[in-house]
Order: sequence, then C-alpha cells, then structure tokens
Amino acid sequence: MKNKKKLLLVLIPIVLILVLAIVFFALKPKATKGSKSIEIDVVDDQGETVTYEFSTDAEFLRQAMDEADGLTYFGDETDYGLLVYEVNGVNADYSVDQSYWAFYVNDEYCNYGVDEQPVADGDVFRIEYTK
Amino acid sequence: MAMSSESNTQSKAFAARDITNIALIVALIEVCKSGLLFLPNIELTSFWIIMFMLFYGRKTYLVIPAFILVEGAMYGFGLWWIMYLYTWPLLGLLAWIFRRIDSWLFWCVLSCVFGLSFGFLCSFPYFFMGLSSGGIKHAFSVQIAWWVAGIPWDIAHGIGNFVLMLILYKPVSKVMRKLYKKDTVTTEVKE
Repeated sequence: MKNKKKLLLVLIPIVLILVLAIVFFALKPKATKGSKSIEIDVVDDQGETVTYEFSTDAEFLRQAMDEADGLTYFGDETDYGLLVYEVNGVNADYSVDQSYWAFYVNDEYCNYGVDEQPVADGDVFRIEYTK
Repeated sequence: MAMSSESNTQSKAFAARDITNIALIVALIEVCKSGLLFLPNIELTSFWIIMFMLFYGRKTYLVIPAFILVEGAMYGFGLWWIMYLYTWPLLGLLAWIFRRIDSWLFWCVLSCVFGLSFGFLCSFPYFFMGLSSGGIKHAFSVQIAWWVAGIPWDIAHGIGNFVLMLILYKPVSKVMRKLYKKDTVTTEVKE
C-alpha cells in the first residue's frame, strides 16, 4: 500500500512532464518554408524608425535579420539563445540603465528568441529600444 | 521514522531575533540564486521557501515579501516582479498547508510540480495584457502562446527542483531540526 502511494506520487510529475511536452509540440508555432514578404522596423533610442521591407526564405527571425540590408546587430550567445544588446550601432545595457531591445511581431511581444521566432508571410517585426 | 512539526509553541511575538533571522534567510536565498544563475531555471529558492516554512514556520511569510522586494530592488520592478508577488507566496502557502507531511518524496514531488507549473502561473499577467489589446479570446491566445514558449524551461525547472530536493532535503532537514527545535518548533520524533 505504501509503495503504491509512493509510485502514484512519482507518477504525478512524470505524467505532467509528458502532458507539457505534448502541449509544447502541438501548440508551438511552426516555421514555414518558401518565400515570405516581411518588414522589420528598428526603433532606436531617439524614437526614430528605420524600416526594412524585403522577401526572404528565412524560417526564423535571426536569418531574416541577417538578410536585411543595412541592419546590424550584436549579442551574446546564452543558454536561452542570442541575447541582442546592440542594433544599428545603438547599445542597450540593462545592467547600466535598464535599457534593452524589445522584439515584437505584429505588435505582440515575441515569445521566442531570435533563433526560434518563426517568420510567416506578411509578418511585421519591430525591434524597439526600451528603457 | 515519522516526524511532525508543530508550530503551536512558536513565539507569536515578533522579536529582534526574527528580524535577524529573516535577513539571514533572505541573504541565503539571494546568494544561492546568484550562485546558480549560470544554470538556466535551476534555483534553490523553492527549496529554501519549503524548508523554512517547514522548520521556521509561519514567520517565513515575512521572508517571502522581503525576498521579492530585494529581487525588485536588484533587477528592477518589471512584469516578472508582478509574477513573483503571487507565485512565491503560493509556494509558501502550499508548504504551510502540507507542513505535517514528513515524506521526503512528497516534498520532491511538490517542488517539482511547482517548477513545472511556474510558467503557467506566471502567464496570467499576459492574459490581462492581451485583454487590454483585444477580447477574451485574444487574451487567452496571448497567455497560452507565452506559456507554451517557456514549456521546455518549465520542464528543466521541475526536474531541477526535484533533483535538488532529492539531494538536499535529508541533510538540510537534519540541520534545521536541530537549529529551530529550541526556539521555534516542537519536533516530535517517533521511531
């Protein structure tokens, strides 16, 4: 009886992990192949916007950013993916003044890092200096 | 061996000693948190909140807001800070409710389930953000999208919590039982 209880207790996290994994793979946005027309808007620390409109085969945002002519960025590779700290020569350092580069897709916060954020036809990305 | 921790003999008055205790506990949590920052979503905060709730008792409820305030002061009062305002007190409440259960496996599972649910618990502010920019359907989609994106980290969090509790519960509880026996907790040990 005691062992049965222990087994049931151990089963709870195992079942939960399985359920979470299923939910993740079922609901995770899928990258789409083929050509897509997208826009990337960069809003700098002065509030000025530079717009990049182009067609790309990129499946994820990082590849698309690499293809945007004139767009430069630097970041640190972390366990969570690339942490972008500089865009078009403007540096954002959270530890100094709590500034950071915020990423949006179609006016919603990007839920994924630049390496995993899928790109779909017609997407409008905004990379905004935020403080 | 069965153990039950009773808090009925705990001093209800708030003494200078408690202020010192709380400061030390918050410092301990912060040091552990900083030390583990290099491991994504592996933390000892859950472990310490559970352990102190079990052995230091209700006064741990003053540790939690102090810890949350220190976190805000150190890292800025962002949206994540709103999430902290209810997630950590919830863990404290659960530990308090189940405080009489002296099963090492139970605490491993509770800590693990808390880690696995952390992203879901934290996703609620996104529901309200979604609600402000659209209807209920939109709010749910914003909340779910945010939660789903973090699921791999929740799984790491849950497994990390389980393993840390598995390794540390027995030795730390042994020390804490001795430490808090005299002035805070009546511990009854039955062989």
